[in-house]
Amino acid sequence: MKTLDLDAERALAKDFLSNFANADGEAKYMNILQDVANHKIRAIQIDLQDLINYKDLDEEFLVRVTENTRRYIGVFSTAIDELMPEPTEAFPDDDHDILMTQRTEDPTENADGSDPHQHMPPEIKRYYQVYIRAPSKGRPFTIREVKASHIGQLVRISGIITRCSDVKPLMQVAVYTCEDCGFEIYQEVTARNFMPLFECPSKRCDINKRKGNLILQLRASKFLKFQEAKIQELAEHVPKGHIPRSMTVHFRGELTRKVAPGDIVELSGIFLPIPYTGFRALRAGLVADTYMEAMSVTHFKKKYEEYELKGDEEEQIASLAEDGDIYNKLAQSLAPEIYGHEDIKKALLLLLVGAPHRKLKDGMKIRGDLHICLMGDPGVAKSQLLKHIINVAPRGVYTTGRGSSGVGLTAAVQKDPVTNEMVLEGGALVLADMGICAIDEFDKMDESDRTAIHEVMEQQTVSIAKAGITTSLNARTAILAAANPAWGRYDLRRTPAENINLPPALLSRFDLLWLILDRADMESDLDMAKHVVYVHQNKEPPPLGFTPLEPSILRAYISAARRLSPYVPRELEEYIATAYSSIRQEEAKSNAPHSYTTVRTLLSILRISAALARLRFSETVGQSDVDEALRLMQMSKFSLYSDERQKSGLDAISHIYSILRDEAARANSMDLSYAHALNWISRKGYSEAQLKECLEEYAALNVWQIHPHTFDIRFIDA
Amino acid sequence: MVGPLYDCLANPLGAVRLTFEKAMASVSDPSAFDVRDWGVFEVFRNFLLEQDNLSKVPMLNPLTVRWVQPNTLVRFRGMIQDMLGNEFYVGAFKDESIWRTNKFVDVSQFPMPPSPDMRIWERRLLYCVTVPGLNTWAESATESAVNGHMESMSEQRDKRSIMDIVSSNGFEDFPNAKRMKEDGQPSPSSESRDSKTEDSFSGTIQLPQGDRSSFPCLVKIYNSPESDLKLNEVFEFIGVLTFDPELTMEGKDDNDECYDAIYIHLPPNKVPRLHCIIHRKLAVDDFLHNPFQVEPKPHLVKDVRQALLKHLTAISCNDALAAHFILLHLLSRVHTRIDGVAVGKLSLNITCLNKDNSTLFGSQIHTAIQNLLPFTNRIPLTLEYLNKDSFASRKDYGTNRLIPGVLQLAEGSHLIIDETQLEAGTLSSIGVENVRLLKDLIELQKVEYDFKYYKMEMATDVQLMVLSEGKSNIMPADIVMPFRPSLINSSEVVATGGLQAWRWYLATVRTLSHTIDSEMQKVVENDLVALRQADRSLGGQDFNRLLTMGRLISASFGEASLSMEHWQMVKELERLRKERL
Repeated sequence: MKTLDLDAERALAKDFLSNFANADGEAKYMNILQDVANHKIRAIQIDLQDLINYKDLDEEFLVRVTENTRRYIGVFSTAIDELMPEPTEAFPDDDHDILMTQRTEDPTENADGSDPHQHMPPEIKRYYQVYIRAPSKGRPFTIREVKASHIGQLVRISGIITRCSDVKPLMQVAVYTCEDCGFEIYQEVTARNFMPLFECPSKRCDINKRKGNLILQLRASKFLKFQEAKIQELAEHVPKGHIPRSMTVHFRGELTRKVAPGDIVELSGIFLPIPYTGFRALRAGLVADTYMEAMSVTHFKKKYEEYELKGDEEEQIASLAEDGDIYNKLAQSLAPEIYGHEDIKKALLLLLVGAPHRKLKDGMKIRGDLHICLMGDPGVAKSQLLKHIINVAPRGVYTTGRGSSGVGLTAAVQKDPVTNEMVLEGGALVLADMGICAIDEFDKMDESDRTAIHEVMEQQTVSIAKAGITTSLNARTAILAAANPAWGRYDLRRTPAENINLPPALLSRFDLLWLILDRADMESDLDMAKHVVYVHQNKEPPPLGFTPLEPSILRAYISAARRLSPYVPRELEEYIATAYSSIRQEEAKSNAPHSYTTVRTLLSILRISAALARLRFSETVGQSDVDEALRLMQMSKFSLYSDERQKSGLDAISHIYSILRDEAARANSMDLSYAHALNWISRKGYSEAQLKECLEEYAALNVWQIHPHTFDIRFIDA
Repeated sequence: MVGPLYDCLANPLGAVRLTFEKAMASVSDPSAFDVRDWGVFEVFRNFLLEQDNLSKVPMLNPLTVRWVQPNTLVRFRGMIQDMLGNEFYVGAFKDESIWRTNKFVDVSQFPMPPSPDMRIWERRLLYCVTVPGLNTWAESATESAVNGHMESMSEQRDKRSIMDIVSSNGFEDFPNAKRMKEDGQPSPSSESRDSKTEDSFSGTIQLPQGDRSSFPCLVKIYNSPESDLKLNEVFEFIGVLTFDPELTMEGKDDNDECYDAIYIHLPPNKVPRLHCIIHRKLAVDDFLHNPFQVEPKPHLVKDVRQALLKHLTAISCNDALAAHFILLHLLSRVHTRIDGVAVGKLSLNITCLNKDNSTLFGSQIHTAIQNLLPFTNRIPLTLEYLNKDSFASRKDYGTNRLIPGVLQLAEGSHLIIDETQLEAGTLSSIGVENVRLLKDLIELQKVEYDFKYYKMEMATDVQLMVLSEGKSNIMPADIVMPFRPSLINSSEVVATGGLQAWRWYLATVRTLSHTIDSEMQKVVENDLVALRQADRSLGGQDFNRLLTMGRLISASFGEASLSMEHWQMVKELERLRKERL
């Protein structure tokens, strides 16, 4: 191995510390040093990212620092000692400072020799601690990936904290005084246990042939805070059929008390072996335990807003955004193994994207999260859809209406078993703040939660007035609910309202409500039979006909989309208003209204349109967005009332005709552009194929003429 | 050098050293050998497989562990119950200009000078136990081939195991132990040590099945890809034994909270360690007595099938239909998983058992299955049992161990759940959780292990049979089979030869491949659609069941593709079964 030239290394470190300037042009580390000198902070964190960005970067120096980090902490410490500025502010002296002043004022006392134990170790003078932090670029290691070859190196890992010890003092420098000669004797402690000195090693005692008795001076010694913890691999990092691995982590000084069991953290630290000592070393001498000396702790926040794009994701997103069919593609990639349900998947995609929150001047908030309720027969993969959405969302909570813990959905006041204090514990909805909360068995919810959920769904807070605690917690979450019909299976003979076992006040809060029925038709049966036979024959799922996007790409795309906050342009206001009023009128006309169209509906239209605009990476809501929003709402209504249409005696073709005729009459014109017609009929839930069929059929009847190229419609007035 | 190269049995470490020296002659730095084998594997593979010395390697079990010498080659068959992570050790060091290796040993054979020339390597620790529910015949089958220098003993045992397959454990233990001492294998001081180890076995091991002592072994794996060895799989490990009853860990630092749980909870004087050189995955037929190496010929298979079916019919009190379904059930296994559906499972719920005939039939079927399959388990579902302990394995962070639950079963296990003993009452939260676990297991073939901060789903492959009075709602099985006994039979005496053939049959036929040709596919598809048109309540699950049955029926005849005749048989069986519902 090459011997290190420590002086040269120190010079490099000094150069970096004194000359590094951050983006604002300020000398970052010199400012930190000044704060340390003024006893304001104790930790000096050297970010290797800064070293990478440093103008005079010596690549080899960086490699040396990452591969032999422990040594370089010492190098940086000595460098800092030499650079340390004078304090610019007065600060109250504590015991330590008084001792230090005494020691420096009295140099003759200790000057009698070159004995290392009498030489004051630099550690005892240092007020600060140096941490070297790994660069944050790239993916952290999983615990499994840390190998023997990483020993001594700086690594970055992610995991969940499972156990934490109490914070204990750890001796760093032991100070003794000799009964005979009165000298202070220093002993540096580098391991977890040390052998105390008993005999004075000073020259005077040696000459006098006295074995001076040493007394340990606790007040004069230097201690560090020390905490030990265990970190375990996250469930998603464990390969199938394996048990999560764990690792011991040591926290020192300012890094203690940063973690608690259950925290998901990212750590950077030095991977080090502990040689066994004593008897253990004798017998089991070969095995070395390892631990990680923590250098930095970052808590994971799984939020879209903080989602960092990795590597080539940015490019992929850009190329996806250019693809015209992105809306369909993304929707298809949600739960690709679940066959069909295109519109539901589209709705779920919009739920993931959401609309921006609006805060009005008078303090009123309008939620941007979409709420969706899936209703349907048992066994139509509702739960699977829910679970899949939770997996795609960076922050998602899956729960059932009968939440398993006592905390339930909203929040509960509980007594802490250790301290006997009352503590507020958030339920699933609070935990899903800024994320998605999927509630299965929504209809079987506890009565208390059901009242609270009204508030959550519109105001997006949970208010608590229990056991002397009155507060309100944020629950800015999009709710995805799944419910079974009132009698287990959907009863087609009863009205939808009877089938849905939920109060209208709650239902109106859902932006979209889908009914998934297990309908009997030959085609879907054959599809299912084919699927099952294929699976048994080939032991693999049948090809999907497209390659679904990876969940990570999906997540990246959605997070990129969520950064936009599209607005509705003035020219569209009129359009939306007429659309809304026409729905209201339609409802007023029918004698048995099966839905309540309220202002909430209007807000829903705006929300869905905004989410669609976000998907297009557009800052403004377009007319196509509004049309698609109306179509989705119509489809969701049809899923509930599709038999209604058949009852009214109109088949699809004649219904399309009447829609078009009405529209033409309303506009008081004989001409109707094809695009316009398509908009209208798709809003009512018909397909383009049906429109074409209708056009041909009625053209044959000479009701209208179709332009051979543009397919524009001209009514022939009789 | 201590031993010649070819004495791999008694001095495997000599062989390891020799190959290391040979390899070192050509390389100057041993760093690369952490991840790469330097020829040990080849030497032992050659020795064991090519020269066919496998049977000479002693099998490690509670009996043999008393006389097998440390640092010799042993075999261990077991299930991976827990994974304890990696261990770092000084793999190679320089002892005055000569590189030495510590691979495959716990304690260095040479004094290690503190020198900078050390290479730290890693090995993986697997905590293995004997397969839960291993039946005596499978156990004795593995024992019968114990080793060369105990030939007389193994011969005797062979005879005995043929005489009574279902011998009780107690009967087996004593004569063997005695015989062993007569052989003069154990050292004079072993008396006291024996009793000590015995005590510690019962003390340290938490095992779900109280009746049979589960024998743990810490296996250390070198240079094998992680994906090779998975939890709950059954393996045979061949390697160097280090087991030192005298090695105690005194001077333990009790104040260390998180310190090295392995040494505290699995002290080396209680749990033997095996430094694995070669490992291989075991299939059911490895547990057979005399593995037939014959092709499953159609007429042979048909004969065995006929005989077995007759036997099962007798067991199920002359209910031929039930016997058919039991046969199919015994042949099922999970072939693949698609979209969360475990394809190939066929769980069976035998209903219409009342209190009177359930005990008789239950024990009859249990013994029958015990005689046929290598790993079988039985859970009597009572309220106390449900409420007592979690069925799933959970991680104990105090000891850093996975505490096994009853549902941690080896791949290919059979499990009988006896619901007839369940009475009305309240379930505690543990009970509710257990019921959910059972339901997940039977529906999805998955068990959630509790890691406190999160749960992890582990895929399983367990044949489940539920015995109940009415249709079990706790455990919705694939097939609900009302039981119609026609006569209470006298227990039939089964010839050993027959049993052996049946075991072979079940083990072999299960592994047959299966295809459906395109014409047959059309027929099946149309039939399924017709069925669904006739009965709207049929779903994808039922389709899966029918196709699985088709596969199993053709497999039971030793055929690899579905024929029209067998498909008709499936439909007929289903029709007959539906009539009874």
